[in-house]
Amino acid sequence: MTDLPGYPSRRNFLKGSAAGFALTGIAASAEAQTEAPVSLDEYQTEYLNEAEWAFIMAATARLIPSEGDGPGAIETRVPVFIDRQLASDYGTADDWYMEGPHDADAEPNRGWQTPLNPAEVYRQAIPVFDAWCQDTHGAGFAELDEERQDAALTSLSNGDVALAPEVRDFWSLLLSNTKEGYFADPQYGGNAGMQSWVYIGFPGARAAYREWPERHNIEYPLGPVSISGERA
Amino acid sequence: MKTFLRILAGLVLVGVIALLAFIFVPVQRTEPTTELAADWQAAEGQGELVLDAGDCVACHTSDDGESLAGGRAIASPMGTIWSTNITPDAETGIGNWSFADFRAAMIDGVTPNGTHLYPAMPYENYRLMTEEDMRALYDYLMTEVEPVSAANKDTNLDFPFNQRWGIRAWNWLALTHDAGFTPAGVSDAQDRGQYLVESLGHCGACHTPRNTFMAQDGVTAESESFLAGGVVGGWNAPALRGDDAGIKGWTVSELADYLATGRNAHSTANGEMALVVEHSLQKLPDSDNIAIAAYLKGMDGDAFDLPEEVAAAGPIATPEAEADDAGAATAELLVSADPDMPLGARLYSDNCLGCHFASGKGAPGIFPELQGNGLVVGSEVSPLISVILNGAEVPPTAKRPMTLRMQGYADRLSDDEVAELATWLRGAWGNDAGAVAPEAVAEVRDSDSAH
Repeated sequence: MTDLPGYPSRRNFLKGSAAGFALTGIAASAEAQTEAPVSLDEYQTEYLNEAEWAFIMAATARLIPSEGDGPGAIETRVPVFIDRQLASDYGTADDWYMEGPHDADAEPNRGWQTPLNPAEVYRQAIPVFDAWCQDTHGAGFAELDEERQDAALTSLSNGDVALAPEVRDFWSLLLSNTKEGYFADPQYGGNAGMQSWVYIGFPGARAAYREWPERHNIEYPLGPVSISGERA
Repeated sequence: MKTFLRILAGLVLVGVIALLAFIFVPVQRTEPTTELAADWQAAEGQGELVLDAGDCVACHTSDDGESLAGGRAIASPMGTIWSTNITPDAETGIGNWSFADFRAAMIDGVTPNGTHLYPAMPYENYRLMTEEDMRALYDYLMTEVEPVSAANKDTNLDFPFNQRWGIRAWNWLALTHDAGFTPAGVSDAQDRGQYLVESLGHCGACHTPRNTFMAQDGVTAESESFLAGGVVGGWNAPALRGDDAGIKGWTVSELADYLATGRNAHSTANGEMALVVEHSLQKLPDSDNIAIAAYLKGMDGDAFDLPEEVAAAGPIATPEAEADDAGAATAELLVSADPDMPLGARLYSDNCLGCHFASGKGAPGIFPELQGNGLVVGSEVSPLISVILNGAEVPPTAKRPMTLRMQGYADRLSDDEVAELATWLRGAWGNDAGAVAPEAVAEVRDSDSAH
């Protein structure tokens, strides 16, 4: 996972570059109908501020790294998904019961007890975690090398980073939103070019394979289709 | 020279007089075919059956209006024609009409004050009604229907179609047939079917081609073009006879199911036909739908069995329809899921395959088969485009109460893609119809958004 000394980090090379999208996006075949989206460097966030964006870019890049077999969170534009979700009615918890009483310290199995909505959880938790990284590893999360970033995320996931009860679900939100952005339909901003679907062989919103369940050990060859009809 | 002018003036005068006579001398009403006794009484339910079989409600009721109170816009090539109030309201309806007045409107297309009806009213077909049915319908309208006060909307067509006296000339060309019904005498069921098809059901109004004068090119089975297929408002009303008939491969039982429920093992009713099923055919007794089916299937001389009932209650085993020889190659291509398949096949795989299947046979009673489907391979392509863009809906019927809905793909497919898909459909499973241009798709999409 670690880059060899002296070589440019593959992640840094890919990060935010439109070229990364084109190079690694096996899904970005000639058939893909959508125009190439604006690069992550030039992306105008809808909710996240600059520091938060830098954090989300760095954190998702470690949660689903680009160095593995398949596409990573950066090429699939997971940060865009998270930003747009936090700006939408998910971020503002529009259709959740949020009237209280709130007991943020309640047992986790009591569900969402914090008075904060997901967007507020990100907003309040990121600076706390960044400060923790500063104290523990000597720099904000986005500035750490990958090894330390992994260590910091491990601490966060183990509950070793002191977080107020109101934001204690930050890690699980971050992890699940990252997975969602990776696998959700491209219309929500992530899973660019349906790369994650191509990678795992998921055919998307086609839902018609009645001749195939009996074809054991034969790979289904046709690429996926998105809800809006993109093909890969 | 003087003589010449005198002759000329005389001719002009004769012409003017003839024209004035043509316009103002009342039309001779056709005599009744039978004299019924003054105390003649229709059988219980006969009048309502005639009303249903004649599909009067569909045209004479507006979307949000009272039944039979008129006010529906009937689109015609000449402009919008407004249907009229036929409830027995004395002021705004037909409450003051005598039976003779009513008959004249039904078989001569003339109202009591001599005004010609536009032939959107199918008096060409109702002309073949029996006197008994005419009387039953009149009595029903006058005594069983509640009068509704609803003023008629004026139909204002552009010149020259606003000159209603011109219809008199048209009637000379269109109303050449005698009033009343002449059964072919093949069998009771087929004779009843012939009557319903030729007369009350006015099937020929859509399913028979129109001649140069926009008149039905044949109103009875004696004419070879009768029911040979027509085009109405950009939709194909498929041929019901001959080798190209959409119903060629259907049994009498399947055809009767279609009439009564808007769906059968092969297809579903769309557009105008869905309305006919909803407002008219589903209300007829089984015997009448079987009779219509028997008559239509018998037109080409095919032998057939008469079913006992229509759309039998379930459970019904509907074996999966496998691809036939003509459709085998297309089915094989689709099942292969080959990424190199043509774009049309790919679009079918992505959007249509789930319901209409690789065989193109659909699912009996639910999803129509696309192989040989009249809407898919018709000369008119806008219905196919419209169904792809906007979806379709088969209305619930008494015997098959489930509404069948197909979603639209306007958001998912571009004009180019719809054209590609439609073109592919028109050549798949042995279908053999021409290509669809993206411009045609754009036109349908634009006309939809203009509504």
